[in-house]
Formats: sequence, structure tokens, C-alpha cells
Amino acid sequence: MNLSMIRFILGSILKIQSFFFLLPIITAIIYKENTLLPYLGIALLCLTIGIITTLKKPKDSVFYLKEGCVATALSWILLSLVGCLPFYLTGEIPKFVDAFFETVSGFTTTGSSILSDVEALSYSNLIWRSFTHWIGGMGVLVFLLAIVPMSGGSNINLMKAESPGPSVGKLVPKIRYTARILYLIYLGMTLAMFLFLLVGRMPVFDALCTTFGTAGTGGFGVKNSSMADYSPYIIWVTGIFMMLFGVNFNAYYLIIFHQVKKAFKMEEIRWYFGLIFASTLLIFINLYRIGMGGFESLTHAFFQVASIITTSGFATTDFNLWHESSKSILILLMFIGACAGSTGGGLKVSRLLILLKTIRKEITSYIHPKSVKKIKMDERPVEHEVVRSANVYFITYIVIFALSLILISFDNKDFTTNFTAVAATFNNIGPGLETVGPTANFSHFSSFSKLVLCFDMLAGRLELFPLLMLFIPELWKDTINPKKKPPHLKTKINSFYKK
Amino acid sequence: MFRNKNDRPVGLKIIIVGCGKVGSTLVDQLCREGHDITIIDTNINKIHELTNLYDIMGVEGNGASPGIQKDAGIDSTDLLIAVTGSDELNLLCCTVARRVRRCSTIARVRNPEYSMEVDYLRGQLGLAMIINPELEAAKEIARILYLPTALEVSPFAHGQAELVQFKVPEGNILDGITLMQLSSKVPARVLVCAIERDGEVEIPTGASQIQSGDIISFVAQRSTIKNFLQHICVKTKRVNSTLIIGGGKSTYYLAEQLLHMGISVKIIEKDKKRCEELSTLLPKAIIINGDGTDEELLREEGIETVESFVPLTGLDEENVMLTLHARQLSETKVITKINRLSFKKVISSLELGSVIYPRLIISEAIIAYVRAKKNSIDSNLETLYHLFDSRVEALEFRIDRSSKATDIPLMELKMKDQVLIAFINRRGRILLPTGNDCIQVGDSVMVVTKHSGFDEIEDILR
Repeated sequence: MNLSMIRFILGSILKIQSFFFLLPIITAIIYKENTLLPYLGIALLCLTIGIITTLKKPKDSVFYLKEGCVATALSWILLSLVGCLPFYLTGEIPKFVDAFFETVSGFTTTGSSILSDVEALSYSNLIWRSFTHWIGGMGVLVFLLAIVPMSGGSNINLMKAESPGPSVGKLVPKIRYTARILYLIYLGMTLAMFLFLLVGRMPVFDALCTTFGTAGTGGFGVKNSSMADYSPYIIWVTGIFMMLFGVNFNAYYLIIFHQVKKAFKMEEIRWYFGLIFASTLLIFINLYRIGMGGFESLTHAFFQVASIITTSGFATTDFNLWHESSKSILILLMFIGACAGSTGGGLKVSRLLILLKTIRKEITSYIHPKSVKKIKMDERPVEHEVVRSANVYFITYIVIFALSLILISFDNKDFTTNFTAVAATFNNIGPGLETVGPTANFSHFSSFSKLVLCFDMLAGRLELFPLLMLFIPELWKDTINPKKKPPHLKTKINSFYKK
Repeated sequence: MFRNKNDRPVGLKIIIVGCGKVGSTLVDQLCREGHDITIIDTNINKIHELTNLYDIMGVEGNGASPGIQKDAGIDSTDLLIAVTGSDELNLLCCTVARRVRRCSTIARVRNPEYSMEVDYLRGQLGLAMIINPELEAAKEIARILYLPTALEVSPFAHGQAELVQFKVPEGNILDGITLMQLSSKVPARVLVCAIERDGEVEIPTGASQIQSGDIISFVAQRSTIKNFLQHICVKTKRVNSTLIIGGGKSTYYLAEQLLHMGISVKIIEKDKKRCEELSTLLPKAIIINGDGTDEELLREEGIETVESFVPLTGLDEENVMLTLHARQLSETKVITKINRLSFKKVISSLELGSVIYPRLIISEAIIAYVRAKKNSIDSNLETLYHLFDSRVEALEFRIDRSSKATDIPLMELKMKDQVLIAFINRRGRILLPTGNDCIQVGDSVMVVTKHSGFDEIEDILR
């Protein structure tokens, strides 16, 4: 394995992270908070370590899929470990495991919190907490690819490991420009949303944090009541933008380059909007029937559906108190998740489509045992590899889900809590039901369970396999015990063939 | 739109149709030059292989379909290169691309039936270039057979000057002299451009010394090359007979050229039908139907006495084995054709003598074209050769306008290290420059350098 290249990438990540810390530092200066010193210290430490580790450029810049996966998984762990230091050092989250959980939840755009009183945090910690969503949304390695020039084409492996979805493609031939285009779209939409919120007279600080939380489809709020106290305008803006951030970013690229028709022809996007529409309608009817006002039920239904399917996890109301059928719909939406290539989590709509189509194919093969049918998506045949990996992904997903469920059940909580806690973290959503519902939090779990849930969040964000790879001993074998290089080939052959 | 202006070098947008041997070589070379490349192939596995290795985009499908070309972004493409296995498909790809968008196109056409009418095809279909790896390889082999001491012969200035590479034998009069002494010892005017010693290449200065065992490459007017070699007592008689193994397309092209030069040709080919075809195409050649890897047959056909031996089978391994075999039996001049680029290091350590990589020959031609196109204001790069395993580039520039490099005596030019001006072609006369000569508008100039990526004459300046 190309360890020096991984070292270089991790060092670059640290350097970038030190710049990310500028935002809370500025906030601390503006609000004259005493969190300034810890933030400055950590940022400087990151910068120095980052600079030292990247001083020596690796000689061999080639790396393969395995290095890409390992680098990605390690980067995210490193990012979370460093990112949780401010919470811990400022003493606002006294337990390290809690601080780690909160940060992992931030970077993976989950939005599950262990804080019972969010408003007690200082402004700088609040903004850092929300900013982690924004960083994690599009991915820090994609950011790295966009700004750091790296030679070689194998960098696509970094993007493959970090970007969600069954098959990752490029928008333009050069990965650097692909990454830049993605970040420009991301940045543009973030800015648009921020302006819309300001128009609705949301306080600047709240607007900034909410925008970060929405763009990354994270869900950390700055109020204990999440979004419930804001005006309907703000709720609708947030809801619509959540929905938009859950769309495959390739579609935006197509729209920018005047291929609107093609963008709307993407099957995944049609299904995504269809699902949102159908679930909103069902929940709306449910709410309306129990006597909520027309507009109010529509607002809550739409906002909650958008919030759950995009795996954001903002809440306008305590949906724990809703009708069972509404809750069931929301739980199902949790598993489906947003589109591939968006900032959302979950199984992804496109993967679900492929899985549903394989069911259809299997049934056809019972009726016509010798029939040949290729699964198609967007009128193109889906490669066997993609179908296979979607199937394996689903199985792995269930296995990890089941194991996590058993591991946290030792805390002796009720089944709904356990089930939705795993579902909410694994799919990067945030709140679950019962004691982890929108008005509650995760602080009552044991440290061990919190670590299990942290693993689930990271696994969910990185699409399982990069993280699972770290546990394969074979990967580390020849790294720890590198074999001696064979004698130089040229001398050997020369002595053999010389006349 | 999303480009940073300081991102030099900004590449062209290039679509390559077909990811076979030539296609993947082109991807490798053009990627290194920093172009935006999209590949089209019907085989998704090949696309995956290449997209995992290089920073390029892949599209699966038939490259001749306008829809697929659109998917690959033909609307903003500067150049389409069609190198699939089929000549007709390549031509169709280019024709379609010309209709969809008027971009430049390059097609590989290698069937001898078309190669006669290359110019007509190119003109009628509006192609920028037609490439034929087999023909180019044959031409290069023929040049070496004409000058058998040479390891490599590359023509410049429309064949008026040649760059010749050869190994200085033991006890030669060149051994131990510096380049400054060279002109006094040998009357013929030549200029040494590069010296390889123990695997290290150097662009020499006047004080550099030649030792026996070095591989030197020098440039001179075509007529003086033989003269020079005679003066330094190296045998230069061109070969009179050749034995070729394998009867593929390159064999046909080579045999045709050699017969034209008056060299007798013997071809050994396994396939009876192909033998018959060859004998109608090449009535003057001796065609032998048999297995070229059969030792007895080779001896019977005179491998020990033939003056040159060229294994041109489709299998690299066979070619290498045949070369080693021939070198063991006799002192005959052997030229080995290698198709695959992998294991180049192993092959060069075998010391086979002249080795020809048809793929590299044509990728050089395409890169020269692309570099000239990139510099669209005055496309003035005429020829490009990679020497010594691509460590040295030899380039020929046409000087169309005055620049910082023109009308200044060469010794006053502040040139980069490891850059040498090998000759100035002034109105058809080859000048080997001295420090007092100037580059003038209208000249063409040959530059030898260890840098890479030069696309205009000013790049030689610091």
C-alpha cells in the first residue's frame, strides 16, 4: 500500500481543516467569546502538523481503489477526532465520547445530538457544529481534489470512496474541474438559500447555521425546538432547499449546460419527487383528519417528509405524537434516503430502483425461465457489476444494521427507540422516535452504544465498504512487514543473456 | 468557465474513439501533456481500466453515433481521434464528427487498399491527419536498413536532415575526444545532440567527451551522414538482403519499400492463403510458407548469411526470441518490432539493438499535431520525436513571425539548460549553427531538449 500518499492526503486534510476553523474563530471574535483561545490553538496545531506531514511529497503518487478507500476512511476519522476537540476543550461538552459523537454526527450530516440544551452552547461552538454539516455534505476529499493539484488519474478512487451512489461518474474529463463544478453548484445553492432566509427576516446567525445544516442535509438546529418557532416562510424555504439538496447534483450540471430535458428525464429524480409527493399527500390527509388546519398540515407534512427523505432531520413538530401510519411512512423514507450524488444519505433512490427492478426481473424469470432481460436505467442497460454491488450493498447494510441493533440493545431501551436510533444514525438522519424523537436526544445511551452509533454514522456516510475495509487484516499485512525488494532486474537479465 | 487562467498548460478537449493498443498509448501520452480527454469504446471493461488509471472520462457506445459523440461532449471538442480496429468505422467517426461539429479529426487507416489514396480520402472527408502505424513502422525500419549502423534514424526538414543514433564501438577514433575536437578530426559537418552513457542521457556541450560504448545521436545533412560514418571507420554499407518473419500489414509495407530500394526480400509466413496474397502483391519477393519460429527452416533459408533480419510477427515474445536467436547465430542487423509498451525496461535491458515501437511512432506524430494545435495563433511545430525512451525530445519549429528568439545571435540567447539548437533550415539549406548565427523568420529550426512540452520556439528561452 502506498502509505506515503495516504500520509500526504491526511496531512492535506489537516491543513484544510485548520482553515475551516477560521469560521468559529471569527465568530468568537465577533461575539467576544472566551472560546477563541482553544479554537486558535487547535487551528495552529492542525496547521503545523499538516505542514510538517506534507513537506515531503510522496515519490510515487499512484494509488489504487484500496488506498483511496483507506485514505477516505482515515480522513473522516481524523477529521472527527480533531473536530471534536473544541467542544471538549471549551468544556461545553464535558465528556469526550459525547463530543466525538456530536462531531461525527456533524461531519456525516446526521444531526443526532447528545445535547439537551442546545441554546446553552457558545456561538462559536454552535456555528462550528453546523459548519461540520456543510463540510461533510459534499465531502472534504472532493474539496481537496478541487483545490490541491494532484497528478495521476487514480484520484478518481478518492472521489469514488467518498461520493454517495452506486456508480460514480465524472462531469468533465478532469477530476479537478469535476470537483470544482460540484463545489460551485453547492456554494451557489448555499448562498441562494442564505439570501432567501435573510429575506424572511431570520437573524443572520440563525440563517447561517440553518443554511449549513440544510445544505449538508445535516439537521443540527440552533434552537432547542429545532425549526418549530420560525415563520412558515422560513420553514417552506428550508423545506424546499432540503429537497433540492437531496437531488443528484449531476442534474444541476445538466441544467446549467442547457440540457434541462435530460435532467428531468433522469429516472431517479422522477421517482424522488414522486416519493416526496405521495408521502406528503398521505401524511397531509392523516394530519388533516385529526383536525389540523389545511395549510398547517401541509406545511408540517411537506417539511417532515423533505426532512426525512433527504436525511436532514430538522423538525417543525414532534412527529413522535403523530398517527402510527404517518410514523411508519417516515421510517420507511428514512431507509430510502436521497438521490445518489447528492449530499443526503440512506440507501439512495437509485439503488432502491435497481433493487426493485431486480425483483421484477426475478419474477419474470419464473414466468419465462429462459427469458433474457437487462435491467435498464435512464434507457441504458445497467452493468451487471452495478446491480451486483447494489445487492451486496443492501445485504451488508442489513447485516450491519442488525449487529448494531443487538449491540445497543444491551442498554435495555425499548425496541422502537433502539430501532429508530440505529436507523436515524445509519442513514444519517438525526432524530428517531420515542426517547430519541425530535424533542429528545441521544445522551442517555451508554458510551459503548454511542461509539457503535458513531461507527454507523461513518459507515452510512462513506457507503459502508471504505470503513469496513479497515478491519481486514490482509490490508495491513504487507504494510507492516514490507518484503525485501528483489535484486535489480537489469543485472540479472544481463548476466543471463550476455553473449 | 470553471477554469483558472493560471492553470498552465490548459489542454485541448480531445475525444479518442477506440481504446485498443494505439488508443491507450495516446491516452497515456496526451494525458501527460495535460489535455481534457474523453474516451469512447464499446467495451466497458476497457473504459474502466483506463479511467481508473488516468484522469479522463469514459463513454460506452459506438463512437460513430452522433448521440454517443454528443454524450462525450463533441459540442465543445477540439479534436477527435478515431483509432478503433476498423478503418471504415474510423472514417465514419470522423465524418460524423465533422458534421456534428466542425472539429479537427484524425483517423487511423491501415488497410493497404486505402493507403494508396490517403490524400484523396483526407481531402474529401476533411480529415486533419490519417495515421497508419504499420506504414510508419515500415518506413522507419527501411531507414535503418539503409544505414545499418544506426540504431534509429529520424528524418527532419522533409528528409533533408536526419537524426541518427548509433553506438560508438570499442577502439573507435571518436573514443576520448571532446565535441570541440570533433570538427578538426572529422571533415564532415555533424552535430552531436545527445549522449547516453550508463543509462543517463545528456545534451552535450562543447566540452563533453565521447567514450566508447556511448550511444550518441547526431544530426547532419542526409548526404554527409555516410561520409561522416566512413571517416570514423564505421561500416555503412546498406544491407542487400532481408529476411522477414510474418506476413502482416507491416511486412507488406516494408517489403514494398525495400524492393523499391533494390534490397532483396524473403518473407516467411505460416498461412498459406496469406502467402498467396503476398505473392500477388509483391511479385519480386520470395515468399516462403512455413513456421518462422522453426529453427531448421530459418537455417535452411539462410539466417546465418542474410544481411538483415526483421521479425514482424504479431507476438512480441516471438519477435524478441527470434531476435535473440539471430544475434546468437550471426552478426546480422536485426530490427525488433514491439507492439506492447509494457516491460519496456526489461526489453531495453536485453540490448536487442534497434527496437521499433509502432505505437510510439504514431503517437509522436499526433502529439506534434496536438501541440501545434494547442498553440493555435501560429501552429509552428512541424515534427516531434521522442528519443532515448522519451527522455529527450527532438522538435522542429517553423518560424513564422519574429519573436524574442529571432534575429539574435545564438550565443546571446538566454536558453534553458539541456536545450540545443541542432540545425537551422534556411530556404532548404541545412545550417549547423555556430554561436554567431541567428534564427530568422522563415527558417525552420530543430531543437533537442530534455524538457518536455515545448510548443513554440520561445519555450527554449529561460
